[in-house]
Amino acid sequence: MHWYQWIASGAVAICLIVFATHFVRLIRLGSPKDYSKKAGSPAAGIVYSFTSAMDPRNKESAFLHLPIYTAGIIFHIATFASLITFFILLANFQPGPSFQIAAALIAFSGSLAGLIILIKRSLDKKLRWLSNPDDYISNLLVTIFQLFTGLTLLLPVLYPAYMLLAALLFLYMPVGKLKHIIYFFAARYHLGLFYGWRNVWPLRKA
Amino acid sequence: MEKITDDKIRAGLEVLKNLHDSKLLTQLNSCVHCGLCAESCLYYLTTKEAKMIPANKVDMVASIYRRYFTLTGKIAPGLVNARELNDKTIDELTDLLFGSCTMCGRCVKHCSIGVDIEYVIRTGREMLASMGYVPESLQATVDAALESGNNMAISDEDFLDTLEWMEEELQDELNDPKAVIPLNQHGKKVLYTLNPREPKFFPLSISAMAKIFHAAKESWTLSTKMYDITNYAYFSGNPEHSRIIAQRMYDEMQNLGAEKLVLAECGHGARANRWEGPNYIKKAFPETITSVELIAAYFKEGRLKADSNLTEGVVTLHDPCNLVRGGGIVHEQRYILKQVAKDFVEMTPHGTDNFCCGGGGGQLAMDYNDRRMQIAEIKAEQIRKTGAGIVVTPCHNCVDQLSQINYTYKLNVQIKTIAEIVADALILE
Repeated sequence: MHWYQWIASGAVAICLIVFATHFVRLIRLGSPKDYSKKAGSPAAGIVYSFTSAMDPRNKESAFLHLPIYTAGIIFHIATFASLITFFILLANFQPGPSFQIAAALIAFSGSLAGLIILIKRSLDKKLRWLSNPDDYISNLLVTIFQLFTGLTLLLPVLYPAYMLLAALLFLYMPVGKLKHIIYFFAARYHLGLFYGWRNVWPLRKA
Repeated sequence: MEKITDDKIRAGLEVLKNLHDSKLLTQLNSCVHCGLCAESCLYYLTTKEAKMIPANKVDMVASIYRRYFTLTGKIAPGLVNARELNDKTIDELTDLLFGSCTMCGRCVKHCSIGVDIEYVIRTGREMLASMGYVPESLQATVDAALESGNNMAISDEDFLDTLEWMEEELQDELNDPKAVIPLNQHGKKVLYTLNPREPKFFPLSISAMAKIFHAAKESWTLSTKMYDITNYAYFSGNPEHSRIIAQRMYDEMQNLGAEKLVLAECGHGARANRWEGPNYIKKAFPETITSVELIAAYFKEGRLKADSNLTEGVVTLHDPCNLVRGGGIVHEQRYILKQVAKDFVEMTPHGTDNFCCGGGGGQLAMDYNDRRMQIAEIKAEQIRKTGAGIVVTPCHNCVDQLSQINYTYKLNVQIKTIAEIVADALILE
């Protein structure tokens, strides 16, 4: 392994250790104990929370803001695809040309979506008011990471810079809002549990 | 406002420090400030002020958590907007969490992440309560309940006089001296509760429900000791006060040995007793249902019959937030209205997407009246667009707010509870 791969690997390890402590803490704290008489199915509520409740037709945050919501979906899909690609490249696997082109296209789409989200955050008065430096840094780091994932697949000469950039991203991830990679799932779990217990979810149309 | 002290700061932070489970930790770390919740909030929609975005209200609480309980917040507070708990923060927290949120939970359903925003608001209110910053008028409502047994401090004498009067009205209407409002009777099937607004301002809703019980031949009773369904400590954020009030209801239930507790038409009261009450006292309540569920069951069982021709005009329904989003009761009220009204139209949106009337979250007990009527514009327009002449809502708190909306926005509609519209359409055998 080259020195830049060691640095990237070290950053990944630090990130995983910190995230593991968050995860273990959540597990140890456990779910809330509810003394009220159960009216519905918490399990069905949790399943609904991760499925139909996420349906864009059921969420104003999606159907009232379809362009930016779509950008957000592309951004997140591309983030996961870029992370997978990063690990493939870190392990020195040589993916085939079709994978390289597909992965690069996804990564570029993601970085474009990330840029759109960043521009919106910068220009929209209410979003600017709501944002802190971490919001911009997190968005920018992931956008550049995606861009470099795509570029490195096409231009291997960028590999060392890509590894260093990835190291920076992994070291930053536990610092700010990128922690939602864990807490998003916990939030949806809790919401499903809460509404499932009360028989609010799965939703029955009025 | 009283200046903050070290002791107060300690008390406020204690609320964030004492994690009973993973829920609070999750909520405080989940929001990504996408701002897409803005349009789900009636405060933002009517004021267009960025500070009203639900995500900002969450961030007010989360920023304090970050400042005192995360490494980043301690080392680089500016990076993640980690805020000190000081007088300025307290002012903003009070205005946003008490004065700018009805805890309707609409933003929760539509949050892109799934943050339980209402839960965070309630936690923030608990912090403020632990530091002694509950708005005076809201605290006075809680104190009245703690001291007198009901939030309007109605004396026993006045309460009994009102019930006696309503019983006479009922007997006159039915021409039946056996039609009664039973008090403090042991071993009945149903222990019924009231919102103190009923004996104080809307006594006819008591006789309406008594008429329904009479028609359904129900075995029921009211308690004169503990009839108040409300628990305003749920809104003030004081867990000990919440517990005392919930415990009283539980104790009276045990004392009278009723089979089931039936909750009057009150959104937050239903929530506070059906769902939150057992958690306040760490004990399951006996069977507890809302009167809406009970009336729907009477119709389904054939114990009630109604003539929908007796209801004239277009009827619409306002869904109380705590009943639909907070309690999953969506279909029962619609089923009832279809029995008693020929021309029923839904508001847009309705059900779990319905907008709050603006009176929830303790707003009717606090001094943010101009703002409360400003946000009510959305409800006023919803009602106007239905063309209805009667607005039905299974919540006395909503009745109060809707009555004020009716006057302010010149809607010229009648506001009724479910019991009232059912009682007017009953066929008595």
